[in-house]
Amino acid sequence: MKFRSQRVAYLFFATSMLLFLLQIVFGFIMGFAHMGFDVLHDYIPFNAARTSHLNLLVVWLLCGFMGAAYYIVPEEADRELYSEKLAVVQWAALVIVAVTALIGFQFGWWEGRKFLEIPRPLDYLVVIDVLLFIFNVGMTAWNGKRFTTTSIVLLLGLTAAALLYLPGMITFDSQVIDSYFRWWVVHLWVEGVWELIMGAIMAFLLIKLTGIDREVIEKWLYVIVGFTFLSGILGTGHHYYYIGTPEYWLWIGGIFSALEPLAFLGMALYAVTMARRGGMNHPNRVALFWTVGCGVMSFVGAGFLGFAHTLPQVNLWTHGTIITAMHGHMAFWGAYVMVVLAMITYALPQMTGRKLFDGWMPEWAFWICNIGMLGMTGAFAVAGIAQVYMERKIGMDFLAVQEAVEVHFGGVVLAACLLTVGVLMFVFNFIQYGLPNDEAVAGS
Amino acid sequence: MLSKSQARWFFIGGTVFFSAIFIFLTIDTLREIPARQNSDQMTASVVRGKMIWDESNCMGCHTILGEGAYYAPELTKVVDRRGAAWIAIFLKDPQAMFPGKRRMVQYDFDEGQIQDVIAFLDWIGKIDTNGFPPEPDLAPATLVSLRAEQAAVAPPQYFSTVCIACHSVADNGGTVGPALDGVGNRMTSAELDRWLSDPQAVKPGTAMPNLGLAEPTRAELVAWLAGLK
Ligand code: HEC
Ligand code: HEC
Ligand code: HEM
Ligand code: HEM
Ligand SMILES: [Fe+2]
Repeated sequence: MKFRSQRVAYLFFATSMLLFLLQIVFGFIMGFAHMGFDVLHDYIPFNAARTSHLNLLVVWLLCGFMGAAYYIVPEEADRELYSEKLAVVQWAALVIVAVTALIGFQFGWWEGRKFLEIPRPLDYLVVIDVLLFIFNVGMTAWNGKRFTTTSIVLLLGLTAAALLYLPGMITFDSQVIDSYFRWWVVHLWVEGVWELIMGAIMAFLLIKLTGIDREVIEKWLYVIVGFTFLSGILGTGHHYYYIGTPEYWLWIGGIFSALEPLAFLGMALYAVTMARRGGMNHPNRVALFWTVGCGVMSFVGAGFLGFAHTLPQVNLWTHGTIITAMHGHMAFWGAYVMVVLAMITYALPQMTGRKLFDGWMPEWAFWICNIGMLGMTGAFAVAGIAQVYMERKIGMDFLAVQEAVEVHFGGVVLAACLLTVGVLMFVFNFIQYGLPNDEAVAGS
Repeated sequence: MLSKSQARWFFIGGTVFFSAIFIFLTIDTLREIPARQNSDQMTASVVRGKMIWDESNCMGCHTILGEGAYYAPELTKVVDRRGAAWIAIFLKDPQAMFPGKRRMVQYDFDEGQIQDVIAFLDWIGKIDTNGFPPEPDLAPATLVSLRAEQAAVAPPQYFSTVCIACHSVADNGGTVGPALDGVGNRMTSAELDRWLSDPQAVKPGTAMPNLGLAEPTRAELVAWLAGLK
């Protein structure tokens, strides 16, 4: 790494790893419950496990984004971080909020609104914390020697993500309006501003790993995020088909969300072409694997599987079934989990000065994780299709259908075991790297 | 070829343009929602029901309007499907209604809270959702036609509000338990009475719930069931 203060990213990455493992534990609890082994019901009922699973996911991804920004922005601005101390305080505050929320969930301290379950008082702390973070990286970029497109897009994404958190904090008496604005957070995050963050991190990694000219990479970055907003903003309509909102959303949402895969296709083509053009010469080959893999898998999970159920004629039948869970897993994995893991894989050798990316383990971790996730997606897909057919098409009783698909959750859990092995290997590698040290500074 | 500054303008222009349309559509949507959701029927009880719904995180197991979790039944039309009386009994002790099945949390709601939850679910069921959830289109023809029809003999009120959620008579009713046509041939009054007072005692492990029926209700049911020949 170039600057000593970039090491603060390590705190965030390490926290991400820990919370990721916890998220998987809750995933298994739910997987077993779906198989009919709801043994923890009296201690961790399904809704507590689910809320923990989802919020841990969101928090560890945000934590990874923050780490990435603390690493990228100083390097792009060509100066030390504005304040390393503030970054540590901000990290500690985030951890405290996350742990409080997680414990609170187990005691029913929550708002029962999917993805936004963090109770109101903690929401305010989250907002303050994120403002501190944006202030810190913002000042770094502002006072830097240069303000690159990569930094601009990254900061734009982070700031917009913070602003879009606010509509989720308003209370409504009506379930319909509540749901309407819940999507401003959930959809406009994952199919809008988070794509800016993802695109910027990918651009940074591609510049570093392929050695291709920054101007070329950043130009395509603008084109891709241009497509994101062009399709993704009105694409929010694919959540407004059947919740009590007007009929025109059927065609507006249908048309624009059907265009959303273009942005992900762009990401995939962009990563693959740049990697091929630049040659695979960078010694940290596995970081490039994760980067290119992210482009490709985000297209599979978000682009392809998103498209599969986004048209209103299809969504009428699949809305709110296991099909949605299938898409949710693969999309989050391909786009956001992989971009954070790519960033970590790239940054660790830089921060610690150790080059542990050569052994068999990092590459095996990559393949095992991805095969595991594809397996899970496949098992969810089979369960989902069976559910849609039996429950929605034939009209069988819900519980009877669930018993029929229990066996497929056996498949989900098996594939999840594979995924977990891969993740454990990744984390083991992470620990092997040890802590960032001063010898690594300017060593890159 | 596209230059970087053109690419930047494509991004900025597209974002501003589509955000503006989105804001405009949002304003229009907020204007149309009151009629579609029957705002005039949103009583204080409905609003309290929504608060209970949120605080209990029912969405962590169920979907409503197709949003939530996929572990428990979709509840948008549950009042149509099961009836208010059935839900009121169910919420008091969910496990008793589906013994041995996937478990719901046992909430200790009082009578008022149960009425609020039902009012909320009832209001949800009347929202104009553009046809969600869809009617099963591959269902056996009888299943569909019969939903509208009435059973031939007028059943006791308890039957048509509670038992019917699980049992059908003359093709009218639920499919959780067996159809009760001709049950009077299969079971005697005494057997029926024993069954209804405590199904578990007759058939341990059965999925038929003990509904804790009061003596007169049970007698009325037995008399009517015994007549189904
Ligand atoms: C831990 C998961 C869980 C939570 C939390 C939960 N439920 Fe349920 N619910 C279930 C399951 C599972 C069923 C299916 C029947 C059964 O096995 O009890 C069910 C069934 C129902 C039914 C009957 C649906 C039908 O079609 O038969 C209603 C009504 C209902 N729940 C309402 C609620 C309400 C209201 C809340 C919140 C106060 C809630 N549930 C919270 C798991 C849950
Ligand atoms: C939650 C669903 C449910 C409800 C509510 C319910 N039952 Fe049942 N019932 C069942 C199931 C399931 C069976 C099959 C039990 C078995 O064979 O183990 C059954 C069996 C029966 C039988 C025996 C039928 C036969 O042909 O063997 C009778 C009679 C009966 N129920 C009557 C009633 C009456 C009367 C009520 C209302 C007071 C009622 N049930 C409410 C689920 C239900
Ligand atoms: C990385 C990007 C994406 C992520 C992380 C993601 C994730 C998710 C998640 C978690 C849900 C469930 C949300 C909820 O019910 O609260 C969902 C729903 C949905 N997504 Fe995506 N998604 C992405 C991209 C896309 C794209 C590009 C499309 C369309 C082409 C799409 C189409 C849909 C649709 C139609 C639903 C609604 C499903 C239903 O009706 O139940 N998604 N997505
Ligand atoms: C490895 C073990 C995992 C298992 C066994 C698992 C299992 C599950 C289960 C059973 C659900 C609930 C579905 C329902 O409501 O019934 C769920 C939800 C979810 N999980 Fe996982 N999961 C795992 C890992 C992950 C990972 C790594 C991610 C991120 C990529 C993830 C993202 C999600 C999301 C986004 C949802 C919400 C889906 C929706 O509502 O549509 N899970 N998971
Ligand atoms: Fe979406």
